[in-house]
Amino acid sequence: MNAVSKLSALAGFVADRFPVEKMNVASMIGKKVVPLHRMSWAYYLGGLTLFFFLIQIGTGLMLLFYYEPTVSDAHASVEYITNHVSGGALIRNLHAWSSSAMILCVLAHLITTFAMKAFEKPREVIWLSGVLMLFLTFGFGFTGYLLPWNQIAVNATKIGLQSIEEVGAYLPGSLATLPATIKETIQGEATVGQATLSRFYAIHVVVLPLLTLGLLGMHVFGIQLHGMSRGTEAVKVRFEKFFPDFVIKDLTAWGVAFLVIFVVAICLPFESFFSYTLAEPYNPLGSTPEGIKPEWYFFFVYYPLELLPFWVIILASNAAALVLLAAPWIFRGTSRKTLRALAVAGAAYLIIVTIFGQQIYDAIKGVQ
Amino acid sequence: MRMRRYAIAGAAFAVLWTAGAGVANAYPEYQKYSQTNSGRVTNCAMCHAHPDGPDGAGHGQIGSLNADALSRLGRARAAFEPGTEVDSPILNGFGNTIIRTVGKSKVIELRSRPGELAGMLDQASDLDGDGIPDAREYAEGTHPLQAGSGNPWSLFATNLRRSGFHIGAILVASILTMYGLANLLRGWHAAAAAAEASDER
Repeated sequence: MNAVSKLSALAGFVADRFPVEKMNVASMIGKKVVPLHRMSWAYYLGGLTLFFFLIQIGTGLMLLFYYEPTVSDAHASVEYITNHVSGGALIRNLHAWSSSAMILCVLAHLITTFAMKAFEKPREVIWLSGVLMLFLTFGFGFTGYLLPWNQIAVNATKIGLQSIEEVGAYLPGSLATLPATIKETIQGEATVGQATLSRFYAIHVVVLPLLTLGLLGMHVFGIQLHGMSRGTEAVKVRFEKFFPDFVIKDLTAWGVAFLVIFVVAICLPFESFFSYTLAEPYNPLGSTPEGIKPEWYFFFVYYPLELLPFWVIILASNAAALVLLAAPWIFRGTSRKTLRALAVAGAAYLIIVTIFGQQIYDAIKGVQ
Repeated sequence: MRMRRYAIAGAAFAVLWTAGAGVANAYPEYQKYSQTNSGRVTNCAMCHAHPDGPDGAGHGQIGSLNADALSRLGRARAAFEPGTEVDSPILNGFGNTIIRTVGKSKVIELRSRPGELAGMLDQASDLDGDGIPDAREYAEGTHPLQAGSGNPWSLFATNLRRSGFHIGAILVASILTMYGLANLLRGWHAAAAAAEASDER
């Protein structure tokens, strides 16, 4: 294949994924239809993820007015927001709870779209942007966790960054130093300190949101261009109009989600699930307190990390990431039935490890 | 001669007082009980001004106290009977409330039976106003002075009762917004369809 034909193939690939003839309001909204079948509920998960992301942006902007990204004032500013700013506790709780809700929705969205084979041609770019946004969402969680600068935040971040460095031991030659370099770049100094906080803050409030907005634009644009995936192998499928029928239902789901997250945020302080010792300001001279754990959405990798050799986790997580990214090509010929079975297995793993991870760990380690 | 004896006695008392003030009387039995009973990690911050307890030179620790603070510490240490107003600089609001409610003698006595302390505290006292009495927070290993620290489901139930008006208002606002938006979208759609039909004619 010469350069011209390669370029021509590339142009064809792009033209199929971004057909110019469909780039009009009539095609993208007016004539768009949504399939109706037993998994149609899953079409609302992407919208809900977007809704929680919008709450993140709104509440995050409000928190920016008072939050101080310095090691001396970060914790005090969070305390000030919680205890003295009018509505501060509610905004902070909304931010914390909606971040968890967003991650829950993004995972459910990923699993259901996989089960529905929504990555089929010409939707590969939509799938890829979705998977990349999943990684960015975990990045949001990891960087945001440090910002309150309390015991759990700093110690958990130290453990997380240390894990990056440990990957080097399993890499060959000069690659072995790469993870340490990455860790130092993120950390910014010898240990987790002001430079780390500044970098995490910049990544959390500027870098990740910009990247997410770019990918989100591409993702939503692609969905509007190509429509919702068929999602089923049934020959006869009913459809409903995207506008206004589906949009109204989607907005209703947003309304219900807002009510639920509002009630949870106003009634249930996010930090009530931690012991109060972990919410104390970070003490660099103190020992690591008991009960340090990552957020629940990292349990699927945290508990295996505690139980299995490190190299197994590195291998498995890299393989999983590659499989996710290459899913449109790996599972091109796979039936939806098989994909559903794989998705159920993946979902079962996530649910079991997240909810029962501690009990499994205690049982295996013989902890009373 | 008598004056000299008083001076020596005074100096000896001052030395003993200073030495005594430098010795912390923390009672870790209570922390251990709270932690074992609740399964939650606790520390000295439940009753003390400093999370590492009274020993040391940090804020709220004995080494950092000035003369006035030492005098308040002395008064708190002498509050053996219940009902004495105390303001010990090494204790936080909950620690001072314990001394005021049960007296120092009882605190020393209950060291071997720390679980009984919860029953001796004022069952209506809720220093952080989170709806969970201080005595229960002590037993459950949550902080009696932090409204965000408490049994999550108790906090949820309390806040749900307290926020009834706000939740009701948000519920009504959400329903009305959804109803309005849905009708607006249907109206736009109908208008667009009518315009299209008119163009076709």
